[in-house]
Amino acid sequence: MERLLTNYFETGSMILFGIGFVTLLLHNNLIKKIIGMNIMDTAVFLFFIAKGNIIGKEAPIIKGIHKGIEGYINPLPTALMLTGIVVAVSITAFALALTIKIYEKYGTIELDEITRMRGD
Amino acid sequence: MTYAKNFPLLMILILFISAFIMPLMKKNIFVKGLSLFTMGISMILSIYTWIFITKNGAYFYRVGHWDAPWGIEFKIGMIEAIMAMLFTMVATLILWYSVYSVEKEVKDNKVSFYYLLVNILLGSLLGMVFSNDLFNCFVFIEVTTLASCGIIVVKDKKENIAATLKYLILSSLGSGLVLMGIAFLYDITGNLNMTYIHKEIMNVHAVYKNTLHIAAGLCTVGIGIKSAMFPLHVWLPDAHSSAPASSSAILSALVLKAPILLLIKILYGVFGFEIIREFAILNLILILGTMGMIMGSVLAIKQKEIKRVIAYSSVAQVGYIFFGIGLGNKLGLTMAIFHIIGHAVTKSALFLAAGAMIEKSGKKKLSELKGIGKEMPYTLGLFTIGALSMVGIPILPGFISKWYLSLASIDAGEFMLIGAILMSSLLNALYYFPIIVNGYFGEENLAGKIYKSNEKSIKELLPLMMLIIGMIAIGAGSNKIMDMIRIGLI
Repeated sequence: MERLLTNYFETGSMILFGIGFVTLLLHNNLIKKIIGMNIMDTAVFLFFIAKGNIIGKEAPIIKGIHKGIEGYINPLPTALMLTGIVVAVSITAFALALTIKIYEKYGTIELDEITRMRGD
Repeated sequence: MTYAKNFPLLMILILFISAFIMPLMKKNIFVKGLSLFTMGISMILSIYTWIFITKNGAYFYRVGHWDAPWGIEFKIGMIEAIMAMLFTMVATLILWYSVYSVEKEVKDNKVSFYYLLVNILLGSLLGMVFSNDLFNCFVFIEVTTLASCGIIVVKDKKENIAATLKYLILSSLGSGLVLMGIAFLYDITGNLNMTYIHKEIMNVHAVYKNTLHIAAGLCTVGIGIKSAMFPLHVWLPDAHSSAPASSSAILSALVLKAPILLLIKILYGVFGFEIIREFAILNLILILGTMGMIMGSVLAIKQKEIKRVIAYSSVAQVGYIFFGIGLGNKLGLTMAIFHIIGHAVTKSALFLAAGAMIEKSGKKKLSELKGIGKEMPYTLGLFTIGALSMVGIPILPGFISKWYLSLASIDAGEFMLIGAILMSSLLNALYYFPIIVNGYFGEENLAGKIYKSNEKSIKELLPLMMLIIGMIAIGAGSNKIMDMIRIGLI
């Protein structure tokens, strides 16, 4: 329990991941599914960035004097998550576009109704 | 010949850059020409790469001249070279076939976008094969997902859109899991380069046993969704059966295979033989693969549409590949990779043949396709040879992978699993043979059909024939191919 509290970033991201996962799997509404997907992705970003951060060190931007190698954190995880965010945004945009198409063709965005309409 | 080292990167760049020229072209014929031309160039480059590898051995390629832990690195070994050759060759043949038939399924003004997506898809698949950097692989996975969703939805019918959304949602779930797995690996090793992660894991695996288990599990399940491991295959039949014929061929022959290759790289390259053997994850893969082999076939028997039958057969065949990975010995792994090659060629030929039948007759139900053998004898003949390979008739690649997978399971001491392989073969016969028998024989089936009335011209069937000839060649030269794979594995 104490370990969970000291690593509260990781704990929080795992809880978020669970929420997103369950929303994505169990909801029938497509918009809610997409929201769940976003929550899940955000949880991974939070986890990755929390792992990349060391408390007491700075982002590698030199202001005034150079503090030496020990003064800064590795910028790699942050940069990776920037890429991750771009990917997540493009997937979300595509999924929303498909949802609009689905609404045009079927008249609903509930997945169980769509399955029933197709009769299988 | 050191300039040959640049070819893998060149292949990806050619495909990516040429893709975005396509929407600027006015006439569809130029778009098709460009797509076929770039794919052909990539094929020649991949053959050169393979020749270079056979002479000089595997090498690492620094993208942008930054050294390994910081820059992205490509690892080009024997397996990667063979896979690149397979992917580009099969894609070239499928594109060649699609040149004649794509307008019947895709609207005229969408054709250029269709070929754009195909080129991007192939580029990202090749990237996933070559890359030695985990995060780079993840980005390529996402590009693959978007592009393959695109080539399904391009048909713009009701069922396509629903199938694509299902595929997209499940796929993004899978990539989320893979990213989480990568986060765990990065967390304990501080590297994204696979070679360096492996070195770090060798030092720390005793301390972080649980974390490594979690990371391996997350990667396996995530990639399992992408490549239709048995209980996670639910998106596959809809997506593959509703897509245009050439898309289904690409999806099932190539898009399913690249993530599996990545899984092999993660399990056996990043974790390594010694560590992964102690994990329970291999048993899970073995069990799910066995279940997929049997259940995929059982579900295929119940289907009424020809393309759905072939799609479910993919689930069964992917089961064989996971079976080989899960056995955890060198022979099993070799056969998994060999089955990737055999299945890619066979399944693309089957999908194209089924697409030709549906296109010419306008029917897709199995009950309506009876007697098709009289109208389209050559197409169904090619379909028959492909189906025989799936069932496992000697010489053809399907038989060879089944034979050696049985030997590998004896090596691993799992005698019960040979029964599963046998049963799966029999079940395969149970759904492929009725299509063929009802196509060629039966008085009432053939009544009113005119011989060769509906056949495609030889010109259009040529790519299909070449796929089948390639398949027989793979079967005949299986010993050499397996030797090459073995060189790559060490």
